[in-house]
Amino acid sequence: MEIIICILAGILFAIGVYNILQKQFLRIIVGTTLISHGAHLFILTMGELKRGLPPILTEGITQYTDPLPQALILTSIVISFGITSLILVLAYRTAKENGTDNMEQLRGNEND
Amino acid sequence: MLLAILIPVIFAFFIPLLSKYKSKVHTGIFVFFVPFAIFIYFARFIGANFQVKTEHLNWIPSLQMNFDFQLDGLSLLFVLLISGIGSLVVLYSIFYLHYNEQLKQFYIYLLMFMTAMLGVVLSDNVFVLYTFWELTSISSFLLIGYWHFKERSRYGALKSLLITVFGGLSMLGGFILLYTITGTTSIQSMIEQTDLILDSHYLPLALGFILIGAFTKSAQFPFHIWLPDAMEAPTPVSAYLHSATMVKAGIYLVARFSPIFTSYEWFFIIVSIIGIVTLCWGSYMAVRQTDLKAILAFSTISQLGMIMLMLGFGTEAAVFAALFHILNHATFKGSLFMVAGAIDHETGTRDIRKLGGLFVLMPFTALLALFGTFSMAGVPLPFLNGFYSKELFLEASLNLPAATNSISSLLITVIPYLAVIGSIFTFVYSMYLFFGTFFGTKHFESLPKEPHEAPMGMLISPFILVMGVILLGIFPNLANGSLLTHAASSVTGSSNHMDVHFWHGFSAAFIMTLIIIAVGTLFVVTRQKWRVVYDWIPGKLSFTKLYDGILRQLDVYSNKLTTTYMTGSVRHYMIYILGATVIGGFITIFLTNGFTVSTDNLAPITIIEISIVVIMIIAAVATLFANHNLSAILILGVVGFGTSMLFVIYRAPDLALTQLVIETISMALFLLTFYHLPKLKKRTDSNKTKVINVIISASFGLLLTLVGIASHSNRYFDSISAYFVETAKTIGGGTNIVNVILVDMRGLDTLFEITVLAIAALAIHSLIQFSKNKGAK
Amino acid sequence: MTNLAVIPIILPLAAGVILAFLHNRTKAREWVAHLFAVLLVLFNIYLNWYVVTNGTIVLETGEWKAPYGIVIVADSLSAILVGITSIITLVLVYTSRTQITDKMKQNYFYSFVFFLITGVSGAFLTGDLFNLFVFFEVLLMASYALIVVGADKVQLRESIKYMLINMFSSVIFVTLVAFLYAVVGTVNMAQIAVRVQEVRQTGVLTTIAVLLFFVFATKAALFPLYYWMPKSYSVPSPIVSALFGALLTKVGIYSILRVFSVIFIYDTDIVHQAFIWIAGLSMLFGVIGALSTNNVKLIIAYNIIPSIGFILMGIGLFTHDSLNGSVYYLVHDMMIKTALFLLVGAICYVAGTSDLKKMNGLIHTYPLLGWMLFIAAFVLAGIPPFSGFIGKIMLLQGAFEKGEIAIAIIALLTSLLILYSIMRIFIHAFWGTKDETVIKKPIKGYLPSIAILLTGSIILGLGAELLLPTIDAISTDLLNPEHYIDSVIKE
Repeated sequence: MEIIICILAGILFAIGVYNILQKQFLRIIVGTTLISHGAHLFILTMGELKRGLPPILTEGITQYTDPLPQALILTSIVISFGITSLILVLAYRTAKENGTDNMEQLRGNEND
Repeated sequence: MLLAILIPVIFAFFIPLLSKYKSKVHTGIFVFFVPFAIFIYFARFIGANFQVKTEHLNWIPSLQMNFDFQLDGLSLLFVLLISGIGSLVVLYSIFYLHYNEQLKQFYIYLLMFMTAMLGVVLSDNVFVLYTFWELTSISSFLLIGYWHFKERSRYGALKSLLITVFGGLSMLGGFILLYTITGTTSIQSMIEQTDLILDSHYLPLALGFILIGAFTKSAQFPFHIWLPDAMEAPTPVSAYLHSATMVKAGIYLVARFSPIFTSYEWFFIIVSIIGIVTLCWGSYMAVRQTDLKAILAFSTISQLGMIMLMLGFGTEAAVFAALFHILNHATFKGSLFMVAGAIDHETGTRDIRKLGGLFVLMPFTALLALFGTFSMAGVPLPFLNGFYSKELFLEASLNLPAATNSISSLLITVIPYLAVIGSIFTFVYSMYLFFGTFFGTKHFESLPKEPHEAPMGMLISPFILVMGVILLGIFPNLANGSLLTHAASSVTGSSNHMDVHFWHGFSAAFIMTLIIIAVGTLFVVTRQKWRVVYDWIPGKLSFTKLYDGILRQLDVYSNKLTTTYMTGSVRHYMIYILGATVIGGFITIFLTNGFTVSTDNLAPITIIEISIVVIMIIAAVATLFANHNLSAILILGVVGFGTSMLFVIYRAPDLALTQLVIETISMALFLLTFYHLPKLKKRTDSNKTKVINVIISASFGLLLTLVGIASHSNRYFDSISAYFVETAKTIGGGTNIVNVILVDMRGLDTLFEITVLAIAALAIHSLIQFSKNKGAK
Repeated sequence: MTNLAVIPIILPLAAGVILAFLHNRTKAREWVAHLFAVLLVLFNIYLNWYVVTNGTIVLETGEWKAPYGIVIVADSLSAILVGITSIITLVLVYTSRTQITDKMKQNYFYSFVFFLITGVSGAFLTGDLFNLFVFFEVLLMASYALIVVGADKVQLRESIKYMLINMFSSVIFVTLVAFLYAVVGTVNMAQIAVRVQEVRQTGVLTTIAVLLFFVFATKAALFPLYYWMPKSYSVPSPIVSALFGALLTKVGIYSILRVFSVIFIYDTDIVHQAFIWIAGLSMLFGVIGALSTNNVKLIIAYNIIPSIGFILMGIGLFTHDSLNGSVYYLVHDMMIKTALFLLVGAICYVAGTSDLKKMNGLIHTYPLLGWMLFIAAFVLAGIPPFSGFIGKIMLLQGAFEKGEIAIAIIALLTSLLILYSIMRIFIHAFWGTKDETVIKKPIKGYLPSIAILLTGSIILGLGAELLLPTIDAISTDLLNPEHYIDSVIKE
């Protein structure tokens, strides 16, 4: 199963990147969201899947799923959320100010 | 010694104060005493029983970069030139530069240069030498650009800076190489380890590096092109830096290092070839010039080539002749520059075509020029010092040691002939310079200024130099025992006393001199007839054009290159970055055999997981085809909720919960924002774009998958998590291990994760605040 | 006394938080910002002194013992870097007093600056790879905030590009940390190092190492990953540019230095050779970029790339001398880049344009500014007796010891072209005829700051001996990772 999840995460990355290579802001941001999902799945898989109970201590149980990756993912989820929110607002403002949401029209030139 | 070196630059700090009185007292008068005092200080060392003096002061001992100063014969010769000519130049400048010029800057730069130049010739430590070396380039740059409102000055300044710093850096490379080989930064210790250097496989490189440094500084072919443009500097500067001292730094460097390299045959070959080519090319080109200072510039190039050539010979006689000529050249060329400056000052032009017949009006100036030019031409008269060193040079060129390989033997045969050819042109431009200016047709009315004799003050300095010419002409052995022999012994190691005589029979060298004068006179008379050769050689070719071309191409191509890839398009940047990462990643996997899979120890596969995975993949793919804002966002939501489902299945309840909450809020945010944004459009990419996008994204996904699988398959160690499970309750005091990790074991992460969120909140707040304010306006 | 190590992180964090509350109090926020900046400098001086006399400080946060909790490690390298960071902070806070608009300050400008410093100091000090990721995020988030606040059209446009690319590389970073965790079962750098050593860095580890390099190299703006940098560093206000130019890319190259001297020290033939090539190409492409434009801000931004190239060259050569050179260059470049960004900021302000072709004769009106740029050019190009030179000779020495002639020649050539790129500004902007119509604009806010930074550079050059023994000790530590490992994991 781990291999399948790795492949899934890889596909999420690939599609995420493809979206980032597009022109419109919305697609690009969708892409970044997809890759962060991919990253989280990767992290989870790296701790081995389904080897024991959820990491909440229970009497008499010694076998738990690796808790560390979960902690890392939690940190990472919150951070990605912060970034996604900021980039959404930024995208909105940029589109308003520049009058376009097309990345290719935002190349700019040397002296500005 | 350190004090003597630093006095000029220390004095420079007081210049701004002194220049306040410049309308009453010319700043130069104060400055004059600085080089003069230094000259007096060092003049004490002249004498038959001169001893080498050293001084040491720590600076950066960790790098062996210390102030190790050494005053030997070679240094003494240069120090006296620097301070002696320096005094005369300052004296001259008092009359040359009007007090409403920016005297403050001029003298600060000039004093800076003095310190730098004294430092170059007195440092035994290569890094300190290099420090002073670059300082001479910098002060030369500032002095050439002194009248920086003129385009030509800016051009000349930049050109000299680029070429000399180029050489300087190359020389630094050579120094570091020698340091790496010998482990010392002292030139004297390097000389002691000559054998080690000669055995090193870095020898050719070190020699090449150092010679480039010397050749650029001493304006040797093909690096000579900066010198004519350096003539944009005020004339005192040309006389001082660009003829008597700074341009001889390269000569000094070669002389200084020749004990190491002289037994390496390529030293002889390279230095001689460059020297003889420079000698001939410089004198040939000088005849073609029309600007007095340009003639002198090319003449300087040619003379420097001659000195370089003699150092290349490396024989005792040649080295002595070289050192003698350094002294002689400083006297006659210095006086000629000052004369040219005086003519410019009094007539308003330096164009020799506009001048002529000035003898009538400026007889005294003409007389000084007469001695200078005739000495330069090597006319055999017993009161012209130029003749002696020229004769010694010709003699040396005939007495070269036997060749060790075919290139050197060819050189030994050709050099005497080329030396004669070069000298013929030297004779021609010297005569042309003198007669063209002071005799011939008069057209005073077309001159910018009404010409008259230069003020006496301006002629004092050239007069003193001409006295030097005559004195050394009458008593050619005047400086031998007390100065030149010591200098020569620093280079060759032997302290044999050389004797110079005016007459020593009809030697081969004397016959060569006669040929030079005969053919030279013929050429002078028929100059108009053969001038056409310049249309063929160099014709349209010029190294200045090459330099300009390089700079222009650098400008054009750097711009072309940079704008080709710096397109401002995120897509391009991502493609480059991802492309590089993918290539780097795959190469590494291939080279290190980085991809290994093991299928044991995997979790079982269940239907429900598979279905979630399939749904997520379908949803992800669907984002590519979504053509409405709303649908794209909703489909994205499916992926997010799928992820949280997986978290549930993989026993991560906290994650699932968080993901669910975050996903919901994100959806809301997405919808809020993109409600206001333009609708998604159909994509109109070309097929090529699509193909590139697909290749890049697919290969990147593949790369991560492979590395992910490989990482998962190579679990070499037990995770530290076991410790967390063990201690969550006992030390951490909680049963939810993930929570204990977050708030306790890795509490720092969480603290800063919150910080990130807080920054994001503040940033969003201020972004919205700003747009509100804008709207209000 | 181990708590000392965390103060360079906590102090700016506290400053950031307090300043967020004071954002509308004109006087109070200046006072607090300056106070904290001064405190930070004083404290970091003490920290450096303490580390030099008593050795590396290791703080196990929350008293969780070494490989399990997060450790903050203040060795001489980290201490010196946070020290320079705090000096730059102080100078920039001082400059902000006059050069940043009230409106920006109301919008949490100072908070963001201090949060950025929190992230930078944290990244320099942490001994935990995941924690490094978190600090990266802190500094990136603060940098996003700084680049967007008060932004106009152009800035917004560039900041979205900046954000996208950095965001992307962060995601890759965290993924790679997870991969590494799978293989070695830990995220503590010292323990990773021990475990990597135990298995002699197998293929998969080298692959992860190379990908990590690409992540750090993107942040450090190395060839071929720097495209996002020049434009986005040249559009914000000069102070923000200075902050970015001096610190952000340095965090990237510091991470490379740390990771490739402590953890991935096996199988280095190819990796180090690749570093040397990348370093050479960064130098060439960077300096060509600097020559390609007439926009003075861009010229300076492009000049970041060759500097990072110089530092990477030392890492690739990996000799004692070359590492000395890299560390020295790192310290030197932080100072001079700040100075240069402020210099061009002032130049653009007085000239009213960033286009070199439209400037002329400024030296008549602003002589001090001109001469400071002149000196800065030589500092940057590594002409003695300034600081760049000291770093350069050690790097070149390393190159010759290793027989890497090509990179040495490229480095020398690059120095020349760097000088040319800055001299172009001097000649075009400052030389020329005086324009009598020009009204002199006040630049008092800039001059003291630039002067202090240049003095720092001159002291680093003339007084190199003060610093060299420390640098020497740092290189010894870098060449002997067991020093670092033993100080973290005590058994």
